Amino acid sequence: MRRRGSFSRAVFIGTIVFLFMPLVVLVLYSFNDSRSGSWGGFSLRWYVKLFTDSPDLWRAFGNSAIIALGSALVATVIGTLGAIGVNWYRFRLRSYLRTVTFLPMILPEIIIGVSLLVFFSGIGLRLGLFTVFVAHVSFNLPFVFLLVLARLEEFDFSIIEAARDLGANETQTLLKVILPITMPGIVSGFLTAVTLSLEDFVITFFVTGPGATTLPLYVYSAIRFGVSPVINALSVVMILGTVALTWSMRNFLKYIAAK
Amino acid sequence: MKRGPGGLYAAPSVVWLTVFFIAPLLIIVLYSFMTPGARGGVELKPTLDAYRAIANPVFARVTFNTILVALGSTMITLLIALPCGYYMARSSKQTLLLLLVIIPFWTNFLIRIYAWIAILGNEGFLNDLLRALGLAQDSIRFLYNRWAVMLVLVYTYLPYAILPLFSTIDKFDFSLLEAARDLGATKLGAINKVLLPNIRGGILTAFLFTFIPIFGAYAVPLLVGGTESYMLGNLIADELTKSRNWPLASAISLVITLVTTIGVMLLLRANGTNVLGGGGGKEESEGKAGKLDALAGAAVVGTAAVVGAAAPAGGGR
Amino acid sequence: MIGSDVVIENVNKSFGDFKALDDVSIGIKKGEFFSLLGPSGCGKTTLLRIIAGFEEPQDGLVLLDGANVLPLPPDGRKVNTVFQNYALFPHLSVFENVAFSLRLKKRPESEVRERVGEYLKLVELSSHAQKKPAQLSGGQKQRVAIARALINEPSVLLLDEPLSALDAKLRQHMLIELDAIHDKIGITFIYVTHDQQEALSVSDRIAVMNAGKVLQVGTPQEIYESPATDFVAKFIGETNLFEGVIRSVRGEMTEIESPEFGTILITDVDPPPAGTRVSWTVRPEKIRIELDRPQRARDGLNVFQGVVDEPIYSGFQTKFYVKTPKATLKVIKQHADWSDEGPEIAWKEEVWLSFSAEDAFLVEVKR
Repeated sequence: MRRRGSFSRAVFIGTIVFLFMPLVVLVLYSFNDSRSGSWGGFSLRWYVKLFTDSPDLWRAFGNSAIIALGSALVATVIGTLGAIGVNWYRFRLRSYLRTVTFLPMILPEIIIGVSLLVFFSGIGLRLGLFTVFVAHVSFNLPFVFLLVLARLEEFDFSIIEAARDLGANETQTLLKVILPITMPGIVSGFLTAVTLSLEDFVITFFVTGPGATTLPLYVYSAIRFGVSPVINALSVVMILGTVALTWSMRNFLKYIAAK
Repeated sequence: MKRGPGGLYAAPSVVWLTVFFIAPLLIIVLYSFMTPGARGGVELKPTLDAYRAIANPVFARVTFNTILVALGSTMITLLIALPCGYYMARSSKQTLLLLLVIIPFWTNFLIRIYAWIAILGNEGFLNDLLRALGLAQDSIRFLYNRWAVMLVLVYTYLPYAILPLFSTIDKFDFSLLEAARDLGATKLGAINKVLLPNIRGGILTAFLFTFIPIFGAYAVPLLVGGTESYMLGNLIADELTKSRNWPLASAISLVITLVTTIGVMLLLRANGTNVLGGGGGKEESEGKAGKLDALAGAAVVGTAAVVGAAAPAGGGR
Repeated sequence: MIGSDVVIENVNKSFGDFKALDDVSIGIKKGEFFSLLGPSGCGKTTLLRIIAGFEEPQDGLVLLDGANVLPLPPDGRKVNTVFQNYALFPHLSVFENVAFSLRLKKRPESEVRERVGEYLKLVELSSHAQKKPAQLSGGQKQRVAIARALINEPSVLLLDEPLSALDAKLRQHMLIELDAIHDKIGITFIYVTHDQQEALSVSDRIAVMNAGKVLQVGTPQEIYESPATDFVAKFIGETNLFEGVIRSVRGEMTEIESPEFGTILITDVDPPPAGTRVSWTVRPEKIRIELDRPQRARDGLNVFQGVVDEPIYSGFQTKFYVKTPKATLKVIKQHADWSDEGPEIAWKEEVWLSFSAEDAFLVEVKR
């Protein structure tokens, strides 16, 4: 029995070490007093600088938050309605919509970024927060659509018929039956959209303009044009923030599912 | 399925995706046949110059390098992910192991790349360590080559391979392996002849999930690569922003788009069985469309799981 | 509540090339427990959905108390449905599921409480009012679905295979409850099922359907005792069905030339003339099985010999497959206290079979 799975076990442990090592190094360095790589003693100065003396960073954070929440909200509304239409009804562009929501899944991000950049300049739209917002809605929409669709597929059309049978009209059916039963999928879609939006670098990189720096773009220029150890502290704060956020998201989803 | 207000519900999605997704792709097609404008953009004079440029050897070398890096890192990723998925599927602590795989990816993509720079850089952790141990006097240049690019790519896309493999292997009936052993197969033989054919769908999904993004990689080669590891993604960006040759950038994008789409279609067709193995998505009897749905479902649920936002009931595992 | 009579006239419905309903006409009486019985795909569910308003027929009429309801939407008909998979709203409690239509009508809270309480009591779920559907057993979900459909006080309740998701024991129990609810509220029930046992045990009348057509409408006894077609005979209960040619008719006694059994005597009120090809049937429980040759006590007893091929014992009865020279007959022997059991009949044993002419009957005239 001891030998069973010893190889796969070794690979798995090695992989986990591999996955966590960079994060551990970041945490370590964030407390390093020295500016260079070598250890110069424990210090919190980078955290102090992060929170008191990094206005550009916080502006980027603000942009990211606005874009993430805004684009996730719009994508969720549009995508949810689309999923409801596709799941239960027959209409002319149904298979078109199914294909179009599938394409972004298989296309590399850079293609989406490039095509949007070309498109925006083609129609003469000035690059900035608005174009970033539009791009984020576009790549978030299919995710919301498919997550909500996965939830809807658990239900039979008879639940709609039951509502109609009991006297609900189309709007009442949507508000009192469809939306409540789909809520876990909708919340999950919204949260995924927020996360993807906060995470995105490649597409944003292409469609952004002056004054529309998001947090990933800020990190990018920090890496490219001179790394300050503040980035280490920022990384740790972001890791903790994401863990906390994801943790509460999971519990929130569990709560919704149980309700 | 009913006639009803479906079109009304779906109209916003249809309009948005047509305007901001399909139209841009069509414009790329159009631009690839035009003459470059002086400061970016195009002049509306049809020409095949962009496609002639693709035929030149520089482009071929970058394409070759891209395929090499993409195939190499995908293979390494799969070879690591398979035993991991196997171990996780056989474990009694699946939720914990899943979290261990996913948590590192709750860190921003760029921060993860940056972490590797912090480790491998000339003033980085590894060089520090080597110097402290007296194993090296000068800094060793770990970064800015093909190996660094592949390392970081493998690091970035590992969970996208581990998750579908895990969920497929988890559904595999392990008594089949015992039956094979009982009938005289060696342990490796049983894995080869019984396990692998049954999890083909999961392997294919894992392959697509890693190969496609790596093939279009941009940020990783830009930040940790050198001139030898220049990839198609970098070429597009440079043509777009530096050389200002938009038709060429469009043509290359178009080629990548076609290669990816056709590749996915061929792989799906070659693999008659359920592609997904279980990453999510309902199996439908609609043939190819059903498989596409299933793949998309897996992609979404997989992504949602990786970013941690999947509903515990639906996507977590 | 008052039931309605439901008249279906010449209803046709096709899905593409598939003819789901082929010129169907049925009259259902006020307050009746009426079953639509047939194999899956026979059109029974389609007919139910047309009555409910979820499907539209290509032509024909559906009359409720004489008024055509086809132009009305589902919520405009005094008809409610109990769905096959219950279709309970998973996000609402049992109470709110039942209250759903009252809430839509914005009835005052006191009325909602009173009415929902009343209907939960009817289906014996008062103590489960605050539970979610996921916490209920199959039988309980079924009862919520019934209460939810009844609270609107429909004049017709449609039930679409409501028991198919339950296990056999629970099904028996629910069937009795359904019957009791029907007796209590007295509205018309239209019940779709593929299970002939279910249909026979609760229905006032049954329509047997196959391939989009209504084959026979009648009481359970009529359907069982005198099936109108071979299909009905085979579909309802177990039977022995054979073909033959009428040789002679003497009053009610008809002689059939049977390729399997020689001469068979049957009775029929209105037999076709000699020379007609027909099918005839005798139910397994009507055949007597004995070790000794029965006395030819009276006229019109069909007697022949056979060998027991396979006895299947199931407690209250034993079913025998008996091989005669040219055919196999199903015979059921009931084990009742009062019947003279006689010696036990075993495998391979030679036996005598007999049935009287009154227990065999004509089914179909063949062309």
